[in-house]
Amino acid sequence: MAEALLALEDVRAGYGDAIVLDGITLAVPDGGSLAILGRNGVGKSTLLLTIMGFTRVSRGAVMWRGRDITRAGPHWRARKGLGWVAQERDIFPSLSVEENLMVASRPGRWDLGAIYGLFPRLRERRASRGNHLSGGEQQMLAIARALMTNPMLLLLDEPLEGLAPIIVEELTGAIRRMTADEGTAFVLVEQHAEVALSLSAEAIVLERGSIAHRARSQDLLKDAATLERLIGLRLAEEASGF
Amino acid sequence: MIASAFGVLFDGFAYGMLLFLLSVGLSVTLGMMNFVNLAHCSFAMLGGFVTVTLTNDLGWPFLASLPLAFLSAALVSIALERVLYRRLYGASDLAQCLLTIGIVFVSVAVAAYIYGTIQQPVNLPSYLRGSVAIMGQSLGVYRLFLIGVSIVITAVLVAALEFTRFGAQVRAAVDNQRMARGLGIDVDRVFAVTFALGSGLAGLGGALAIEIVGLDHAFAFTYLIYVLIVVAVGGLGSIAGSFVAASLLGISDMAGKYYFPELGAFLIYFVMVALLMWRPLGLFGRR
Ligand SMILES: Nc1ncnc2c1ncn2[C@@H]1O[C@H](COP(=O)(O)OP(=O)(O)O)[C@@H](O)[C@H]1O
Ligand SMILES: [Mg+2]
Repeated sequence: MAEALLALEDVRAGYGDAIVLDGITLAVPDGGSLAILGRNGVGKSTLLLTIMGFTRVSRGAVMWRGRDITRAGPHWRARKGLGWVAQERDIFPSLSVEENLMVASRPGRWDLGAIYGLFPRLRERRASRGNHLSGGEQQMLAIARALMTNPMLLLLDEPLEGLAPIIVEELTGAIRRMTADEGTAFVLVEQHAEVALSLSAEAIVLERGSIAHRARSQDLLKDAATLERLIGLRLAEEASGF
Repeated sequence: MIASAFGVLFDGFAYGMLLFLLSVGLSVTLGMMNFVNLAHCSFAMLGGFVTVTLTNDLGWPFLASLPLAFLSAALVSIALERVLYRRLYGASDLAQCLLTIGIVFVSVAVAAYIYGTIQQPVNLPSYLRGSVAIMGQSLGVYRLFLIGVSIVITAVLVAALEFTRFGAQVRAAVDNQRMARGLGIDVDRVFAVTFALGSGLAGLGGALAIEIVGLDHAFAFTYLIYVLIVVAVGGLGSIAGSFVAASLLGISDMAGKYYFPELGAFLIYFVMVALLMWRPLGLFGRR
């Protein structure tokens, strides 16, 4: 097997003494993609936080390009190619849109020009303060800001949550372009299971902190029984919800 | 009395600029990093003693000693930050107070041991002494120099914070530490550098203060109160707030001593109480 870009080996992690994740083993190859599904509170965000180094790992190992990074700090991981879009978006309120983009930028193919090409709306709003943006604009900015660090792997935590359908479409288009065209690997946590599965190659479903199911995304998309059992999803209803 | 009103204003503003240099670093560490560093004026005192030693014992020119006052305070603060402060970043205010007030006691004892308990003299070069007449007013040259230095420093600070990448990283780290780290910003380093800059400015302020308010072993305690007042009135973390508050307090302190000698040094406290009742978060405070 080729060396994975990111691998988790039997990871147990949580906050302080509380254990949230247990026995997590997964791998994302270069340019690969993984959808993480699961009900609220099963530990999806915690899994991304663990990959970024924000949780306490009490067992197992997090490997990045063959190297054990279990004890490395978040800023070190970010500099080595992990890009993170937090569920809370976490735009810096006292920075302008352009400052939000530039503050952590690193050289690479994603620069201001490329970002404004992907999200023209951010160009229009580039002088606005971070706290004067709509929800959709904040989400675009959070993704754009992570891209400006030119990551090899992008961690996206519910990027479509609470957005109007037209913006969801715009954002999924952007995600598709930046990953398919540019070959950026990604891990996507998403409530819109259908969208997540259509964007990704592989998928896992979490249940109470452990992996309850793994499949290729296109297979899981057709497996209505499993989806309904594990995340209570009825595909037809989800689709008509738009 | 009327004739000297401008003179009082001028002296008060110069004194305010001194308070600004002494306090701006504390405002930044307290407001941005949430660290209660009561030992801030120990760094100022260190700068003062460096200048005294360099000029009186080693014959350095006064101006040449100022960068060293800045540097020594900055370097000592880096060492302390590494060894002690960093461990208490997440700790309670009380723990931080206890540690840093302990450092004040130590610094005062060390200063008394080395320099004794007398006021330290400083030799100003002749071009900083005396006064010049501007528009019929006689203005102290040294105070003009003090005001000039402070305004230049304020401009540089504001520009650095607003227009450089490092300044943006400081603001980002203050807004949201977790996200800043998650984007690859070395927040610990950003804070350490900011802290060192603030302490260095205190060191510079301590050196510049000798001519105006004197220097002895107790400086770290005496000026802690003034510096805390400036920070509280100005609003935590606001450079502009510190500037305005320091000017107001400097002027009112000077005016109190001139016009209401019986109130003496108390006017500054009345001004503080009044301002804080009007704006509890400080003039420019946001939280
Ligand atoms: N900072 C935290 N400290 C302690 N527990 C937390 C923290 N964040 C989340 N949790 C707990 O971890 C569990 C998983 O949360 P989370 O990873 O946010 O789930 P999801 O993203 O799947 O909705 C929940 O029980 C939640 O209460
Ligand atoms: Mg979540």
